Parts: sequence; structure tokens; C-alpha cells
Amino acid sequence: MTENTKYDAIIAGAGHNGLTTAAYLARAGLRVLVVEKNDWIGGAAVSRSLHEGWTYSNCSYVCSLLRREIVRDLDLPKFGLQVIPYEGGASFTKSGDYFAYYSDHDALRREMARHSPRDADAYARYSQAIMRQCRFIRPFLLRDAPDPTSLRPRDLNELAYLVKKAHGLGSRELGETLRFWTMSIGDLLDEHFENDLIKAHLAGSGIIGTGLGVYSPGTAYVLLHHYMGDLDGGIGAWGFARGGMGAITAAMGAAFEHFGGTIRTGSGVEEFIVENGRVIGVALENGDTFHAPVVASNMDVKRTFLKHVPRAKLPGDFATAVERFKIRGSSAKLNIALDRMPDMPAAPPHASFLRGDMHVSESLMELERAYDDWKDGRWSAKPYIDMLIPSQIDPTMAPSGSHMMTVFVQYAPYDLEVNGTRSGANWDDAQRAAMAEVVIDRIAIACPDIRERIVHKEVRSPADIEREVGLTEGNIFQGELTFDQLLFNRPVPGFSQYESPIKGLYLVGSSAHPGGGVMGAPGANAARAILRRETRDNRMKGYAA
Amino acid sequence: MTRFDAIVIGGGINGLTAAAVLARRGKSVCVLDQAETLGGMAAPGPDGAPRGAHLLYNLSPAVRRDIGLGNRDWPFRSAPLPSVALSPDGRHVVLRGGEATNGDSSAHPDADAYRALHGRLAKYGALLRQLAENAPPGFDGKLASRSALRQMMRLGWFGLGLKRLGRDEMRNFLRVLLSNAYDTILDEMPDGPMAGLLAADAVRGAAAGPRAPGTVFSLIYRMGHGGEVTLPMGGMSALCSAFADAARNAGCQIETGVTVTRVLIEAGAACGVETADGRQITAPLVLTSTGAEVTCHLAGPQHFDIEATRRMRNVRARGTAAKVNLRLSSLPAVIGLSRDLMAARLIAAPSATYVERAFNPSKYREMSPNPVIEAVIPSVTDPGLTSGDSHYLSAIVQYAPCDLEGGWTETAKRALAKATIDTLATYMPDLPGQITASEVLTPVDIEAQTGAPGGHWHHAEMSLDQLLTLRPANGLGRYALGPAGLYLCGASAHPGGDIMGLAGRNAALAALASEGRK
Repeated sequence: MTENTKYDAIIAGAGHNGLTTAAYLARAGLRVLVVEKNDWIGGAAVSRSLHEGWTYSNCSYVCSLLRREIVRDLDLPKFGLQVIPYEGGASFTKSGDYFAYYSDHDALRREMARHSPRDADAYARYSQAIMRQCRFIRPFLLRDAPDPTSLRPRDLNELAYLVKKAHGLGSRELGETLRFWTMSIGDLLDEHFENDLIKAHLAGSGIIGTGLGVYSPGTAYVLLHHYMGDLDGGIGAWGFARGGMGAITAAMGAAFEHFGGTIRTGSGVEEFIVENGRVIGVALENGDTFHAPVVASNMDVKRTFLKHVPRAKLPGDFATAVERFKIRGSSAKLNIALDRMPDMPAAPPHASFLRGDMHVSESLMELERAYDDWKDGRWSAKPYIDMLIPSQIDPTMAPSGSHMMTVFVQYAPYDLEVNGTRSGANWDDAQRAAMAEVVIDRIAIACPDIRERIVHKEVRSPADIEREVGLTEGNIFQGELTFDQLLFNRPVPGFSQYESPIKGLYLVGSSAHPGGGVMGAPGANAARAILRRETRDNRMKGYAA
Repeated sequence: MTRFDAIVIGGGINGLTAAAVLARRGKSVCVLDQAETLGGMAAPGPDGAPRGAHLLYNLSPAVRRDIGLGNRDWPFRSAPLPSVALSPDGRHVVLRGGEATNGDSSAHPDADAYRALHGRLAKYGALLRQLAENAPPGFDGKLASRSALRQMMRLGWFGLGLKRLGRDEMRNFLRVLLSNAYDTILDEMPDGPMAGLLAADAVRGAAAGPRAPGTVFSLIYRMGHGGEVTLPMGGMSALCSAFADAARNAGCQIETGVTVTRVLIEAGAACGVETADGRQITAPLVLTSTGAEVTCHLAGPQHFDIEATRRMRNVRARGTAAKVNLRLSSLPAVIGLSRDLMAARLIAAPSATYVERAFNPSKYREMSPNPVIEAVIPSVTDPGLTSGDSHYLSAIVQYAPCDLEGGWTETAKRALAKATIDTLATYMPDLPGQITASEVLTPVDIEAQTGAPGGHWHHAEMSLDQLLTLRPANGLGRYALGPAGLYLCGASAHPGGDIMGLAGRNAALAALASEGRK
């Protein structure tokens, strides 16, 4: 075989961030290779058909955070990306009632007033506060996190931008921002609302994917993280990618190949080859070797440095810091093929909110108890579930008349406790099935006939997600979004700008600033950092400053 | 005389400090306390045994200087105490400063890790102390004004201190400061009694478990003055007298047993107080050591901005620490611990996970069946406190939430006493038979007796969203509360609680500075 093994850059991992970096680099004229361990691309943004006729968004399942600058720069719609917004959502109760969330302000107000007139009044203030905070944070997503210990002009410049923005808020609003970043979603909601069901509905975004409870400080920020999207101009709006989440990465892959890039699937990186403190290429599991002066890893920081770089090649304190980076598995998934739309007796027929995110948690205390189970190594007895039936809007997901349901489950520990030992290896078929029963019981609160509707189901524990996607502990953010792991602290203090102690080796996944979600910002920011450092005149065009 | 320059409501450590600072600047000051004994949460019981607080670790030299007790020493002696992390298997850990040994003085395997962590936290504590010794930063004034320049200087000084840590330590500081105690401790050592003790210290008095982000800050806060724990000789009365005498010597008039029923406001300015016995005492300055919301009600909410009242209402002050005070017929023995170490600060928190588990029920308004306990037997160190063989055991017990489901009935209090004694008895099997009298102070009792909002140790939760300029609430962070001349001088103001006095001192200085500007 006389295949060329030399490239300008190699990207390890074809997730949405890896593909984003790859596409930007290829667009700038570099010869880029993407290597992927699975036989398909997409990482955690995939669409897979595990039961004939049905397509599952196996991991991530809804879209909002994807930066519009990236969609525009890479011309993703041209490569097939279409995002369909959905409206609203609902929380169902055991007593047969529900709270519906509508994106229409007046409808939402009427619905809130049905549960609590006082909360209906409070909502305007709450949503404005959230929106102000999102507006403040959003510009920072596409910028580098300044290193406060550095005196380099770039860092000082970024720091000055931060100070200027913060000063521009005024002292009162700056105080509010600091509170938002440090308080718990439970306390924030308690300040505004009185109704348990409304609070439980709004709190979900504060804990999704996070090893914290609704009353843990810092969860208000996690909520903001989920609200920073701006689908169709509506802040916090979410939608489905037509054809499942894999449509996003498929479009990215197509854009990358359009710019001349190469994707090789079926064999992942065995080792990043390091010589004299510099990366020179990658050795794959199948024995192939490829060389490039720039190698970017879409894997999380722990997997990249602790599994695929020889320990001897890393500075000791860096390795320790990576070991101490917290990546905790806290969520599981059920993907379900339904023979037809399940009954939802509580809801009016054809209610718009059935096309959105549906929940069954009734109070903050119930959510907090779900967290306590997780701390002790059990899945929650009453988990928070975020379930959607995207096939109502996107008919490509299931055969005509049938439906596909995606159910996100919080909390499920990675290191499940069985007989006194905690380990990811404890997740066997029996445990998976037992957890699925608990989740299906929860779904039955909203859909009593769910058991008769199930044609096929896929249960994914955090250990399964780790095994298949490669995310350490199955953590969807590649690292907890706590404030000791954000901005200049993400993933390791001193290495927050996508670089690593190994020259030429970059981190482009969600372990890097600004963190997880199908956002693409780490990948795009990393591409900018790579072009700035590794090439003379290749500057990213089009992308935010 | 019923006319003063300033009235201080509450004769706790902060109130007395504020009064002494004002009086030493030439103000005529009147201190009013509803209790008969001065000292607030530090006040001893009628028999001289500690009732609320029982140890010192954060007393501020800046306060000592400013209340006229000189640069050198406090007017009472104090004895440093070792800490003992109790272990159910008898393998206790003894901590003296940064040194850790086993109960039998042999080397502890994690001694190096402990020394390094202790040293680092103490260093960070010393740095943060600069912030505690001044009013929190705020930028409401003009950038070129004198106060703004002074603030910039201070922040610059703080920045310089940060830089002096060196780059790696500075990075570590900026990360660890925002982290949670559980992970920070367990990154350095395996879970066990030593980790449990640190975790317990990080959440003492807090409505938080060690896994809550921000709890490392509370641990650092404890170590602002080096972290050495001492016992005042002569009991808490020696301490309270020192502060009361300082105030009196400065010329303050102190009245106990006087309840303030109203703060008088005229034309948007504080002008005095009305007491339960019907007197009106007038003064253009009123400082209050209780919480912001209580003060708002004393003055009348109509005098406050509606936004401010909303924020005061939302200040979180959910007391979770109860006191169980025991009188003992003889000195109990801990299995595996020598008798002289019975003088130590004894911590029942065998692991950090234990502390987190103890916290769980409090979230649901229940008390911990297996509580975290800090116990001291001061009469071992200071035999003058008791007569004969008898002893006091003073215990801080967590978690016992102020809003217990069903309320703090006598039955509930007995259950708390039982859980406490049972927990202690796992280490001191003879204890139950030695108890001759017991007293349970729940957060509700503490609030009733001292006015501390929610019976909370720090009057307001010391979480990151309620610190510095945000303490007790955004927009109220610089001691002034609504009407002119009304100031918050208690622990719910920056920098917070503990027997420290800085909140009172800073508030008095803020009041003086604002008067100077008039």
C-alpha cells in the first residue's frame, strides 16, 4: 500500500468538535486527516438505525447551542443540515395534571396562572434576568479564556475585554451576574416562584449531564449553559436536526470533505507519537501510522493524556491536574421505537407541547433526592427524565404511523454500586434492564400505555456511552461544568487555550473552554488557536474575532 | 441621657466592637442587648460553661487594635488545642497545626499530604484576610474619587499578593477557591477520619454538604488567622468581658435586658430607637447586629426600596447547627486516646462521605440520625471552670435544620440529644452514665436568644453568592441599609461570622467615613 501518511494536521475523533476543527483547518488550506475509532462518524452527535425502520439519536438528541457562526462559515445547510424548532414542553403529574411550557408568551402566562397567578407574574422578571445573563455570556463562547496569570498581550487583551464588558453592566447588574454564576438553580427558582411543579419544570436544565443536585451552588450556571442557544433568533429555543443529531455531524463531515479533507473510520488512535516534547503523528489501533506536525484530539482530556500519551512524556504536575479533572457519569439514555403515538390522557389531543420536551418531576425536593441516590452509587429511584418524540415533526425518524422516543435519564452513576463495590463494570444486562424498568415506570406517568407501545428499546448506561462513544464515564460535557472547571480553569489551569505541554498537540473537544453541548465552539476556537500558532498567514476568515 | 451619637443594637462580639470603634472616635454610643448576658452567640451560660460558641480561631488583631486592646495581646490567656479526628476503630488522628500523627503519636501515612494542604490553605487564608479587613469592593462612586482610588490601591495590593504566590500557586488558588471541599480533600488523601475532620470544618454552621461547590472557601475562611484553635482561659466570659470592657473603657453606655421594638426613621434617615419599656433613645446613627430583614421590619419596610426588601427577604440564613451542652459527673474516656488528649477539640466525622450523608436529611427538613459533632471539654484545660471531678462537654451538632419538619418540639429536642449522645458514645462508651444534666439549643432557640437570623452560625449562608459585595445581598453589601444612618454591623455583613469582630469594625468605619463625607 502506497498511501500517503503525511498530513498538515490530524484530528483524532470525528465528533462535532473534531469535525469543526478539521473543516476550519481544511478550509484554510491545510491537508487534514480525521481518524475515528467507530465505523461511523459523529461521536455523540449520531443517528443510528438499531431497529429496522427506526433512526435513533442515540446520544445527544436536541439542538440549540450549535453556534450559528459555524453553521454559516461551513455552509452546513448546503450539506443537508436542517434544524426544526419545536415549541414548548410539559411536566406531567401522577394526579393526571400537567404544566405546559409554551414559547408563546401569552399562552405560557395563562398556563402558569392556572397553577399560580403569582408565578405567572414572576415569570417576566425571571426570564428577563436569564436572558440578560445569556446575552452577557454569549460573546465569550467564541473567544479564548484569558489566563489571569499571564502578561502576554493576547491574554491582557482578552482580560481587558472581560473587564470592559463587566464594567459595562454596572455594579448592580455585575453583582447579579456573579450571583448567577455561583448560586444554585433551586435557590434561584425559590426566589422567583412558589409552585413546585413550575419550579421542577424549569430546574431540569440546571442538572442535565451534571453531577450536582438542584440545590448545589453552580447549577444556575448549568442552566444558563443550556439556554445560550439562539435557534431561529429565539434565545433558549431548541429544535430537532432533521434525520437526527447525526445530520449535524454528517453535514460537517461533508463540508470537511468538500474542503479537501480525508476521513478514515474504523480504527482509533492507539498512541499520540511524541518525540522531544513535540507530537509528530498518531499510531492507530490497527497498526497504521500517520504523521503531521499538528495533532488535535477530540477525545476528552483524561482519555487523551492518560490513555493515549505515554505518562513519561507528560510533565508530572500536568498529569496530576488531568487526573484530578472531574468527569463524572451522571446520565443514561433510553431510545425507544414505538408502534404508534402513545396515549397521553392528561393532555388535550394534539397539544403543541407534546412535540417538545416532556418530564414527570413534580418538585425540587424530588429532584434533590434523585441526586442523593446518585451520590451513593445508585440510579435515582425517581429519576428526572427528559423525553421527546421527534418523529412527530421529523417523519424520517420512524416508519409512517410509528414513532421514535428519546429519553434522557438523570441521575445514573457510572460507578454503580453492587455488593459494596463501585465500578463501571457493574453495569450488566440485568442492571440495565432494572434501570430501564424504573425509567419506563416514570414514562408511564405521562403515557400509561407505554409498555404496549414499545417495539424495541436501547438502554445506554454511562458505561455504555463511555465504551461506544469514548466519553470518560459517559459524561456528556467531557467534564463537569463547575466553576472550578470553567474559563481559565478548563480543563487545566495554564492550558485553557486548547494547547497542551506537548507542542503541536491540541485539545478540541468539550473538555476545553467553553465546554459541552453540541455547540462546536471548542472546536472552532481550537482551529483558530492552531492556525494562529502553527501557520504564518492562515487566519480564520468569517469567524467571530 | 437619651440622646447619643450612635446606638448599637445587639451586644455580641460584632456589636461591642462596632460600639468601641465608634466611641474611640469620639462618639457617644449606647449599646442595647435584649439578653442579660453580653456576648451574643459567644455568651456563656449562667454557670460559666460555654453555651453557643466554644472555641476561638478567627479573632482579628485588627479588631483588637481598633477597640483599644493594644497591639500585643488579648487581656485573657488562651490555650491552643490539638484536634482529634475520632475513628470508630480507635485509630484516631491527632492534628496540631499542620502536623498529623496517629493517636499513639506514631507517624500517620498521610501526614505529608495533610501538611501540604494545611500550609496551602493557610497561605490562601492569609491572602483573603486582606479582603476581610476592609469593606468589600464596590464601584458605585466616580472612578477618580478618593474612595475609589483607595479601593483600587487595595485591590492592587491584593493582586500583588496573588502574584507573589507564584504562577503555579496563583493558578491553583483561582481553581481551588471555587471548588468543593470533598474533591479538594480527597484529591490529597484517602477518605477517613482526617478527611472527615477537614470536611466537617468546611461546612460547620453551613446549610451545605462538603460536595457543594464553594465549600473550600469556608475552609480557607477558618484559616484566615492561621487556623490555630484556642480555648480562652476563664471561659467564654473572659472573652466577652474583654470586649465589653473595651467598649465601656471607650465610653460606651451598655444596657442589657432591653429589647428594641422599633428603629425610628424620619425624613429618610435613622434617628433613634424605641424600646420595649417604652423609651425613645435618639441618635443619628443606628447600627444593628441582627439580620437585614429583621432590621427592615424594625424600621418599617416603607422606608426601603422595594427591590431592597425583596433581596433582604431572599437572603439565605438556614441555621443547621445545634448545640448540645452536657454536664458530666466525671471525665469520659475515648477508647484509644490518652487522657491528656481529652482536652482536644474532638471531631466525630469518620469520613468526608459521612459528613455528606449527615447533610442529606437536612435538605428535607430532617435531623441527621448520625450527626457530625465538634465536642470540647473545656474544663480539662481550664480546671477553674468546674469544681471537683465534674466536667462540661460542649458539642456543636450538625445537621439540625432550623425549619425541622413538625417543628422543634420537646420530643424532637430529645431525639437530637439522643442522636448526639449515641454518636459520642460510640467513641466514649461510658458517657451516657456520666451525664448529670443536658441542654439542647436548636437553631430556633439560638435565633430566639441571640437574634441571629435562622439561628445561623454566620447570620447568612457563607456561600459564594452571598460573599463580599453580595453579602448579605446584592446592593446592600457595604453596611449601609436603606435609610441614611442605618448600618448592618453583624455577621450577615462582610466578611461574615465567627468570633472575629471584623464585620462590626468595618461597619463602624463605614459609618464614620460616610459621616465624614457629609
